[in-house]
Amino acid sequence: MKSVVTTVVTAADAAGRFPSQNDLEAVQGNIQRATARLEAAEKLAIGMDKVVREAGDACFKKYPYLKQQGEAGSNQIKVDKCYRDLGHYMRLINYCLVVGGTGPLDEWGIAGAREVYRTLNLPTGAYVEALTYTRDRACSPRDMSPQALNELKSYIDYAINSLS
Amino acid sequence: MLDAFSRAVLSADSKNAAIGSGELAGLRAYVAAGNKRLDAVNAISSNASCIVSDAVTGMICENTGLIQAGGNCYPNRRMAACLRDGEIVLRYISYALLAGDSSVLDDRCLNGLKETYIALGVPLQSAARAVGIMKASSTAHINETNTSGTNPDETRFRKMETIQGDCSALVAEAASYFDRVASALA
Repeated sequence: MKSVVTTVVTAADAAGRFPSQNDLEAVQGNIQRATARLEAAEKLAIGMDKVVREAGDACFKKYPYLKQQGEAGSNQIKVDKCYRDLGHYMRLINYCLVVGGTGPLDEWGIAGAREVYRTLNLPTGAYVEALTYTRDRACSPRDMSPQALNELKSYIDYAINSLS
Repeated sequence: MLDAFSRAVLSADSKNAAIGSGELAGLRAYVAAGNKRLDAVNAISSNASCIVSDAVTGMICENTGLIQAGGNCYPNRRMAACLRDGEIVLRYISYALLAGDSSVLDDRCLNGLKETYIALGVPLQSAARAVGIMKASSTAHINETNTSGTNPDETRFRKMETIQGDCSALVAEAASYFDRVASALA
């Protein structure tokens, strides 16, 4: 799993040297930003169910045709799976906030997603709408501090870009 | 390879749950003690050659047969290999301490180390003893309780010029990585 620390250690190991001053400073920079990341992760975890529900509702509101016969949300089971997938994305964003890098989204969310969605004939636009809604719905200081919100939005944007 | 953060992610993923306040408390402790941790890693890497050479010297003092003909630190070629291995072990311990997780030490250093040493005829007990001495001096460097010992003329000795604080948690963590090496060789 890629993070700042593992990247630094991998580079040091490849060169066969002890962690240098530069390595330690890179880690320190990461640690200084960690407070905001962890706050965002915690707030997202606390509000997870509600965030997922609102995001899913927003997407079905914008694209009501999805619930028609033959579409991706034509019955309740499929609709539930849509909410479940949004839950996965939110969970991976929570992981990214903890790690401080896009590793979890890259490895477990984005790799292969395009192929899966094409095979299952799922509209990525709907996911984009749900994530965009979440991004724009989150506000500071109601939900979290400005720095934490910044971190959260950057990972949501990353997920959106991967889907669009 | 994992660090403290990605370890939390892996265990949360296996439960299919987001990382909540409970797990975050441990990570916040890592963040709060971040500078101490960096100082600790710095204490080890800045004094690495001293820590390693003292450990190997101590190991040989206790078992002088090692540098006599037929011993495993004789001739210089094998002595050099011994010093090199000590530095490698210490280096991976410094990585583990920086990451706050032992996976880099386990995967890249300890996995197969015992088998390799047995195949090469390296005495495991002596290797473990050198690691034990490295543990003692490294933890002393981290805690800044290092002294010049019985030799008042010792000039290589120095203290890190860091702010004094309670490093007991980090010392215990570093000690656990040394113990991990010792038990992997046992």
